[in-house]
Amino acid sequence: MAASPQPADVREPSRTPALNSGQKLMIFVLSMTLFGLANIITEVLPEVRLGPVELSVSYLAFVPVVMASLFHPLYAALGAPLGEIVFVDLLMGDFSGIGELEGYLQMFLGVYIAGCLVRDPRRRGQLFLAGVTVVFVDKLLSAVVDIGKVMVGVEDAEFVPGLPESVLLLEAVGLTTALLISGVLFGALPAMALAPRLYGKIEPLLGLAPRDPARPHALAERGTGAFLLLALVLTFVSMIAAFTSEIFDNFGVWQPDFIDLYGQRFLWIGVSAAVIVLAALVMAVRFVVHSRRERAAQGAGGADGTGEER
Amino acid sequence: MAAAERTRDRRERDTLSVEWVKLELLRTAYATRGGLLASRDPRFVLGWYLVFAVVPWLTHDLTVLTGLFLVCAAAVVLSRVGPLILGLFVFGFVLESGYLLIASWFFGGDLGTVLALAELTLKLATVSLASMAAFVSLDPEKLSDALLALHAPAMVAFGVSYGYRMLPVLMEEFHTVVDGYRLRAAPPPPPGFLGWRAVVRVGTTVVAAFYPLMLNTAKRTRTTVEALETKGFTYAAEHPAGRRIRLAHLRADRWDVLLIAVTVLLVAACFALGRAHPLPVQPG
Repeated sequence: MAASPQPADVREPSRTPALNSGQKLMIFVLSMTLFGLANIITEVLPEVRLGPVELSVSYLAFVPVVMASLFHPLYAALGAPLGEIVFVDLLMGDFSGIGELEGYLQMFLGVYIAGCLVRDPRRRGQLFLAGVTVVFVDKLLSAVVDIGKVMVGVEDAEFVPGLPESVLLLEAVGLTTALLISGVLFGALPAMALAPRLYGKIEPLLGLAPRDPARPHALAERGTGAFLLLALVLTFVSMIAAFTSEIFDNFGVWQPDFIDLYGQRFLWIGVSAAVIVLAALVMAVRFVVHSRRERAAQGAGGADGTGEER
Repeated sequence: MAAAERTRDRRERDTLSVEWVKLELLRTAYATRGGLLASRDPRFVLGWYLVFAVVPWLTHDLTVLTGLFLVCAAAVVLSRVGPLILGLFVFGFVLESGYLLIASWFFGGDLGTVLALAELTLKLATVSLASMAAFVSLDPEKLSDALLALHAPAMVAFGVSYGYRMLPVLMEEFHTVVDGYRLRAAPPPPPGFLGWRAVVRVGTTVVAAFYPLMLNTAKRTRTTVEALETKGFTYAAEHPAGRRIRLAHLRADRWDVLLIAVTVLLVAACFALGRAHPLPVQPG
């Protein structure tokens, strides 16, 4: 893989050369396969329940942490949650539809942030931080989603006595145990042991150079912008769903004296505002995609001459 | 006496071995599935699922929710979902709502809290039942084709196909690595209080097994990806013609349309029933 440096490399020597499509695919597939296998093993590991406190390994977090710290975090993070969905949920017949999408986004964000925190995979402190971060981000987001489900699913949930406190308590307990078991015991500590030993050994097998702390990856790649937009869109979609339920109810139980005119108008303002923001977001995404396509076309034109070996 | 005990010990270990777990997992993954939704066009099955994933969130009426729940339960029965998955689902839901109930009583809830919890449980259960009915019976490759038809990234379809073929190989390899590790390691120490030494041993073995596994998988991945790229994989995945060829086998017939029509009728019936006999959840 002794490669002729690309023009971009000469102009910008402080960056690692960009990956070609085959190398991106390799990192993606490797991360997906290993995390999928790790999840199947997790299914087999026994779990202990002490009342509402569940002492179990939710996933072997060290696998995506090692992948994201040794390779480009974006492709490792894109692959890992897909491995969980494919190997465990689809093949074992446990696929939960839309729920998988939220799980994918949570895990992706956790692994990506963790991978960005690591600059040198030989430094154990960074690996510890990364291992805890994966589980913290993933479980915190899933707790927020769970609480959101209660808020959307139950009318005026914050006025039902005892409900908000109990949901919060259960989520906090779950987050703490997951952080301790999956985050530290099966995340940070094994990653601290494995990543320095694999450093310099696993990269040549994929035809890549080891991650060099002096020449960091270009992290803020196209994926992040699109992802942030997607997260915003999803937030607004859930908001609209919440509004719709209110309106739908008013249609279902039609009592003219029941309608508070002010309330209705307020709802419609909310819906229309959300729709406007949604439309603006769609236009922004269109623009980003368009400009990216143009850039890709230019890049393809320029790269043809040099060849894409690296 | 001691010898007899030892043989019994050995036999028990044999039945609960890694080999047995492996076979059980493979059986779950590759067993032939069947039922109502299995032979339908996967795109329509996805649509059917989406109806039941969205509709429960649009209402706060217990009559409507009970109706939707019953429809989904009937679909689960017709899709021949196995007793194991169903049992786990029921167990999990009962336990989860039980804890929520106890916790909310602890914080001073009343009958309104119970009703609100019943509403939430019904909603979540309906969505889970719908996903069970739709996806347990559906072949993973058919599902990935449906996702591809709905313009999901090509990587998802690739991941499903790859995982479907690689799973037995990977599990075999993991088993070999763990066996090698156990052969070379010292015999297990006495289990200790609550078997904590056994737990630590299992944990460290699993982690240590991943070291050779990561290196081996990296080698295999490179072979696979280079073979795929030689055949123009990335290009074919992005090119519309490749997508068209891959999805050409998807055909919808009148039974698929009938499925959606009946579903919409049933949902409408639930809402009609809800209007006739409303049972709204009043916040306490």
